Amino acid sequence: MVMAEEEHIISMLVNNKPGVLSRVSGVFGRLGYNIKSLCVAETMDSEVSRITLSSVANSHFTEKVTKQLRKLVDVIDVTELKPATSVEREMTLIGLRLHKEKRAEIMRAIDMFGCNVRYMSDTYCILECVGETEKTETIINYLKPLGIEEIARTGIIALPQKN
Amino acid sequence: MKKSGAEILLETLHDAGVDAIFGYPGANTLPIHDGLRSGPIRHFLMRHEQAAAHAADGYARATGKVGVCLATSGPGATNLVTGIATAYMDSTPIIALTGQVTTNLLGSDAFQETDIIGITLPITKHSFLVRDVRDMRATIQEAFKLTTCSRPGPVLVDLPRNILAEACATDEERTYQAAPKINNGPGNRNDQLNNIARALNQSERPVIIIGGGVKLSNACREITDLIEKGHIPFVTTMMGVGSVHAANGYNLGFIGTHGFELSNRIVHQADFILAIGTRFSDRSTSIVEEFAPLATIAQIDIDPTSVGKNIKADLPLIGDIRKTLEKLIPLIEAPDRSGWLARIRKERETTDERNCNKGCGAPGRFISMVQEAMPAETTAVTDVGLNQIWTVRSWQPSIPRSLLTSGGMGTMGFSVPAAIGAKVGVPDRDVVAFSGDGGFFMNIQELATISYYQIPIKIVVFNNSHLGMIRQIQDLFYGNRLSSCELGNHADIVAIAKGFGLNADRVAVETPEEGISKMASSTGPYLLEVTVDPENYVYPIIPPGRSNLEMIFGRSD
Repeated sequence: MVMAEEEHIISMLVNNKPGVLSRVSGVFGRLGYNIKSLCVAETMDSEVSRITLSSVANSHFTEKVTKQLRKLVDVIDVTELKPATSVEREMTLIGLRLHKEKRAEIMRAIDMFGCNVRYMSDTYCILECVGETEKTETIINYLKPLGIEEIARTGIIALPQKN
Repeated sequence: MKKSGAEILLETLHDAGVDAIFGYPGANTLPIHDGLRSGPIRHFLMRHEQAAAHAADGYARATGKVGVCLATSGPGATNLVTGIATAYMDSTPIIALTGQVTTNLLGSDAFQETDIIGITLPITKHSFLVRDVRDMRATIQEAFKLTTCSRPGPVLVDLPRNILAEACATDEERTYQAAPKINNGPGNRNDQLNNIARALNQSERPVIIIGGGVKLSNACREITDLIEKGHIPFVTTMMGVGSVHAANGYNLGFIGTHGFELSNRIVHQADFILAIGTRFSDRSTSIVEEFAPLATIAQIDIDPTSVGKNIKADLPLIGDIRKTLEKLIPLIEAPDRSGWLARIRKERETTDERNCNKGCGAPGRFISMVQEAMPAETTAVTDVGLNQIWTVRSWQPSIPRSLLTSGGMGTMGFSVPAAIGAKVGVPDRDVVAFSGDGGFFMNIQELATISYYQIPIKIVVFNNSHLGMIRQIQDLFYGNRLSSCELGNHADIVAIAKGFGLNADRVAVETPEEGISKMASSTGPYLLEVTVDPENYVYPIIPPGRSNLEMIFGRSD
């Protein structure tokens, strides 16, 4: 029986200490889940970090992973964030070769997608775009034939909506 | 007054109730061994670090207290790994203390440096590297808390040599701030408890499955009360054996691959299963889809990851077993279950006929005779292989923690060092280790430890000159194509034991009377080699990939 796979976003608070990330990532590896994106940074409390992580997996994923993660001593909180009730963003830097004949089209795209130009020389530029994964992927797909050389993505960060 | 890290460590261990450490020194643990010379804690110098971990494990299993093992950095630490994994799989509370290179050398591939925390991540509940002597006491205290709380398991503390040597004043010591857990609630336990009680009361053919967690939760009295109040027949997993007096009339035996015919059959007919302290491992269930097909399944466990892990629980409850049973028992009625019990009695008659000597042949009879010859509350420790199944099927524990076996990990070489730990932990109880000629050789060096400390344990080595269980599987399921299972008979086990300074004797399994009575009346350490026919297997057995109902009873089945 093949189970439908979909993207899951897990947000957790962990102790900001050496070795914690390998304990967390070990859970995913041992259960056989691939981590699609991972973002770690300090919270307002410098002793606590937030890890936001996404995986494409079957419906058992959330239960299995959250139960194991909650057993880790250094994990304070684990929640799954649903797209409908949270704000999700990721940032992408796109390194683009500026071919003369495609320059005009590139400039139109930058304008259309609302990207910021963070570096520009005669022949190369680096764009910054921020948005949901879908938007990011649309931009990358559009610019690919125009000369993307490399990209760096932060992966998803997200927070739940509250009243 | 300032104390060294090692002194603080030993003081904290003593405060936590540690009276024995099983270990092996190396350059990076010398500050600890220096402190052990004068302290109240006894150190048992084992002959291999793996044995030190098994001894700590055996100590913990026999006493219910925390077992402690100690090894140096590098090879000392890596030698502990099998023992730590064994304790992890059976949820035993042990603390593994490992020496480490000085903090300035960490990560430099220094002499005898290894990342033991990284190596043991998947087989420990948690691990600590003490980077500052001011954290020593709080870290050790936290390690004790973690190893015993919730579902017990091993905790490793890595101790750099300079931290052990460094001095620290009491008022400089720091406390440990555990991060508060959020969003970790177990749900409404009262509703869940009422639902389980109602379903159990309404069921016509209930069976309780007792796992290793019942002993760990010290709930053996409560589970017995529940069984007797509700007239509920019970089976156990291999780890659950001994939780209730073996002679209890509701006892159907243990289930699974090497379990009893009766227990496997009855679970298949049950309409309600109350599983307590078990993760439904594959050894217990065989094919999950065909396990207890008619039953509603209720599961009580303290570990959320064990609930619904292998089998979907219709009625889950996450909580401490003893406290849960205390609340459950008053809700249980004693309905008339005479029909169900009569059906079980009938099944028992037919299965008993088919399974004389509990399916173990002469070794089963031998083990029963050993038990009769020994005092009532003797502890049996098994190795792994045919000897394990023979012992778990034949030994009739009358009290909890008197049958110790490596159930989850199936670690050969476990019996002798674990028996050392069990004897050290409970000195006034006799200990018999049952091993085979395979596993016995895996920690044979511990005969030297036994001899040096004159630890009065009895070791039975079943010698069939083969890896018996491998032979049985190859015989039955690989068309009798025997491969890599013959050990031969070139080593004289009795002479070896005598060479180590033990009294030893040899008997044939068919005529053991004199040999057993000599062993039972001996006072010091004693080894009895028992020669067994290599074709004396254990039945029934479940072929790989088959359900618990598809037991076979011999080659022709």
